[in-house]
Amino acid sequence: MANTKTKTLSQAQARIERRRITSVIVRYVILIVVGLIMVYPLIWMVGATFKQNSEIFTTLNPIPKEPTTQGYIDAMKSYGGNINIWRAMLNTYSYVIPEVVLTIISSVLTAYGFARFRFKGHDIMFTAMMAMLFLPQVVLNVPQYLLYNKFGWVGSPFYLALIVPTAFATETYFIFMLIQFLRNIPKDLEEAAAIDGCNTLQTLVRIIVPMLMPAIVSCALFKFMWSSNDFLGPLLYVNTPAKYPATIFVKLSMDADTGFNWNRVLATSLISILPNICVFFAAQNQFVDGISAGGVKG
Amino acid sequence: MKTKKKNKFIKNNVGFFFVIPWLIGFCVFKAYPFLSSFFYSFTDYNLFKGITKFTLENYANVFMNAAERKSLIITFKYAFMTVPLKLVAALFIAYILNFKIKGVNFFRTAYYIPSILGGSVAIAVLWKALFQDDGLIRTAFAAIGIEMPHFMSNPSWALFMICLLRVWQFGSAMVIFLAALKGVSNDLYEAASIDGAGKWTQFFHITVPLITPVIFYNLVTQLVQAFQEFNGPYIITKGGPLGSTTLMSLLIYNNAFTSYNMGKACAQAWVLFAILMVFTAIAFWSQKHWVYYADEDGR
Amino acid sequence: MKKKVLAVMLSSAMAATVLAGCGSSGSSDTAATTAATEAAAPAATEAATTAATEAAAEAGSGDYENCTLTMDWWGGDSRHEATQKAIDGFKAKYPGIDVQVNFGAWSDWETAKAAEYVSGNNPDVQQTNFDWIGKYDADGTTFLDLNTVSDTFDLTQYDQSVLDICKDSKGGLAGIPVAMTGRTFYWNKATFDQAGIETPKTLADLEAAGATFKDKLGDNYYPLVIGEYDRAILMTYYLQAQYGEPIISPEGNFSYTQDQLKEGIAFIDKLEDEHVIPTEEYILGEGADSMDKSARFINGEYAGIFEWDTAAKKYITALGDNGSNLVVGTPFADMGPKGTGSYQKVSLMFSISAKTEHPHEAALLLNYLLNDPEGVTAMGTERGIPNSKAAYDTLDKAGMIDPMNAEARKAVEDSNPMYWNPLFDDSSLKGDSPALYTDVFDQLSYDQIDEAAAAEALYAGYTAIAPAK
Repeated sequence: MANTKTKTLSQAQARIERRRITSVIVRYVILIVVGLIMVYPLIWMVGATFKQNSEIFTTLNPIPKEPTTQGYIDAMKSYGGNINIWRAMLNTYSYVIPEVVLTIISSVLTAYGFARFRFKGHDIMFTAMMAMLFLPQVVLNVPQYLLYNKFGWVGSPFYLALIVPTAFATETYFIFMLIQFLRNIPKDLEEAAAIDGCNTLQTLVRIIVPMLMPAIVSCALFKFMWSSNDFLGPLLYVNTPAKYPATIFVKLSMDADTGFNWNRVLATSLISILPNICVFFAAQNQFVDGISAGGVKG
Repeated sequence: MKTKKKNKFIKNNVGFFFVIPWLIGFCVFKAYPFLSSFFYSFTDYNLFKGITKFTLENYANVFMNAAERKSLIITFKYAFMTVPLKLVAALFIAYILNFKIKGVNFFRTAYYIPSILGGSVAIAVLWKALFQDDGLIRTAFAAIGIEMPHFMSNPSWALFMICLLRVWQFGSAMVIFLAALKGVSNDLYEAASIDGAGKWTQFFHITVPLITPVIFYNLVTQLVQAFQEFNGPYIITKGGPLGSTTLMSLLIYNNAFTSYNMGKACAQAWVLFAILMVFTAIAFWSQKHWVYYADEDGR
Repeated sequence: MKKKVLAVMLSSAMAATVLAGCGSSGSSDTAATTAATEAAAPAATEAATTAATEAAAEAGSGDYENCTLTMDWWGGDSRHEATQKAIDGFKAKYPGIDVQVNFGAWSDWETAKAAEYVSGNNPDVQQTNFDWIGKYDADGTTFLDLNTVSDTFDLTQYDQSVLDICKDSKGGLAGIPVAMTGRTFYWNKATFDQAGIETPKTLADLEAAGATFKDKLGDNYYPLVIGEYDRAILMTYYLQAQYGEPIISPEGNFSYTQDQLKEGIAFIDKLEDEHVIPTEEYILGEGADSMDKSARFINGEYAGIFEWDTAAKKYITALGDNGSNLVVGTPFADMGPKGTGSYQKVSLMFSISAKTEHPHEAALLLNYLLNDPEGVTAMGTERGIPNSKAAYDTLDKAGMIDPMNAEARKAVEDSNPMYWNPLFDDSSLKGDSPALYTDVFDQLSYDQIDEAAAAEALYAGYTAIAPAK
């Protein structure tokens, strides 16, 4: 009797165990299959850059039959002698980096001001700021263009139309994200600092900024990604080929070629996103922490 | 006495000084263009012909003109196709990843990469290479005997193809879900499994209610983004075929920067803005009824 | 605003007068004009032509100020290289004048330029499109009236009739018409050989080829491929061949009735039904931005295109090793009772900004690029076969005129091309959706509307910008 009971028990255990293993397997299968679908286009793209143009669309196999670096050799060619992919990427980062720095400084100041202080008009300004989250950029494009033009920023060799606005906390998402993050930081430390005689600015620099660091890093990384992917901005405000950033360059090489050298176009595209991929791998934990903490569009 | 008063003023409003840069930026780079576009939306402002009259036609046309109405409908279709698909995919994968999965970081990275690169021109180029008639997807399925639709030329599939580009980037929403799921205490699950609740019951009765604030957050941000999608249709389909991928933002761009009908473009932009506001308002209002916040007061 | 423009115009005109008075340039100028007039005379001898060429170059020299000019153009790689080389030559010839250039591909180019016109940021010298006169220079304040620099830029190298169509509404010469262009057919001879037929010489040939292709080569093979805008042009050829009037008159009136328009649309529809051209659905499915990027064109499945006479090179390059298969066809003489119905237009122009501070130097640059043998040689035929007589002679002598380009040009010229009004390219008609040519011809091809509805939509679109007579 006791024996049977043990038996059924162990049978039940075995059944549970089997079920557990099945569900584990199912989970991994789902993860791997979906993961493959996610990454496959990118792997295929990398493979395609090494393929002959005639081979690219004939097979699913990302590994080239007759590998060639022609795509890359062509991608290095300067375009009209004035601009090539390296120069274009240098151009990209010559405005992306200032944009990132200025965005961070201005956003931190603003978030700090809104999250930690009450002042006249606080609520109405806060509401106005939040409303900007939902304001489509297309609403602003035309008047902004006319405005920047009045300032003489259009076609500026220093990318003024792209850079200057970032000094004035125009990226509402980051302010929002930093405010969310600040809400979770207890005020005790600041109060202690105030008692120690720190003024508010010192408190910000010595206490808040270090605590905000994870959020700041993710803001910086996101701004970096978005700015380097931005297409419409440079399209409107940069008008010298020598100053074209990588996004415009990719489109340019796509349009300019007669016939279609897909391997060249894909190689150019891949080179242009390589820094983003590197930055992502170097700092993926910060990305994840950042979005998890504040929540950010992606 | 006076200085004291002044000091007090400064002290009471010190926060204001921190937001001054934002305030300037807001006035110059947001409010001014915003209001002037509102003004233009009531005119027939053409970049080269100036303003000749004030009119409500621009707004009426958004709903009366066949092409504009179509664009509006398509934008809704796009958003309502993309957002649920994206959120479901994100939540589902996040849920699986939340089991003690080996190599969770590896998977997370793999799923997240598309979100990082998705906005770039390079990916739009790739998408075209995948979905055109001689592209990878149709070729691959043809090899196993499945005839896929003509994504580039079939009006309904073209929109779906553009949707997929967004859905493919579900990684960011997923990471947010994952963080939320990690925050759900294990005790609750244990208690539930003692009560004999299956995994799916647990998921719908414990997990989902507990992470509603995050679902809500994702829902709002994804809706806002979906209504503004531009790069995909601009580079992949140019709004075609038959205008089936002419989302509002693309229509606005075309009106503003290829036909120079600024008045028209501004009115369309304002309609889009109004829609976004309505959806956001609905989302905020409805959160009372279905969003569960741990600290009761809703903050 | 108006005052300011007037001031600029006046001062530039004055500057031109003052400079014309300066010593050497005066005499060479007269020489140039005389010689060029002789050259223009029908019985011009070879010697006179040479003299004109030299004189045309000479006209450019004389006094100039050291300055920096800005210039831009759009185009492909080879055009960029050629133009930059020519500009380097100019800088060497006129030390002290620096030229800063900007160039890019056509897509999105006009968007950027339009924004510049609004803001008055446009460069001193610019490659411009013919329809830009109406679009951006309607009041004549955007582009300099080039008659004001005629002592520097040798206008006598151009036929007056060609210059006349580049006038703005105030009668100012808004741009130099670099070359003329019209549409003709190009055939991939290899595919026609495969089908066992000759390349089409007449509309009847073409219509018959549709069935032959389908029978002999299969459903994927078409004797001709035309996109939405091409369809609008071919329809126009057909209508003009039936009724003999330009679709939009020089006065800006639409010439046809809705019923006539329906005939034109039916003509296009019939081509599709008879397997002469593929449906839009089939074309769009491939996802090629233009036919030179279409695998189906490159491998010969699309055996014919209807393109500008300047465009051959692009397609030959696209065909690669099979480039020699592409042959030039002609507009069809049997298109209708009134002939081919073809038209030609100014392919592109060079303009000088009305706001330039250096009109004389800008004109020097233009003269170097368009009339001076040195500049002309460097520029080649990247912008088509030049209208400038001096440039044509220089290139012809140097054997630099591409025979295929010349053949296509001749095909168009021999087809008795009609006047063409740039309103035809209005942004409400041409371009990506929402634009009528794309919308109407797509919907028609997808069978979403019938011919009557297509005619109604097009008629409304045309008459909105060009009132019916």
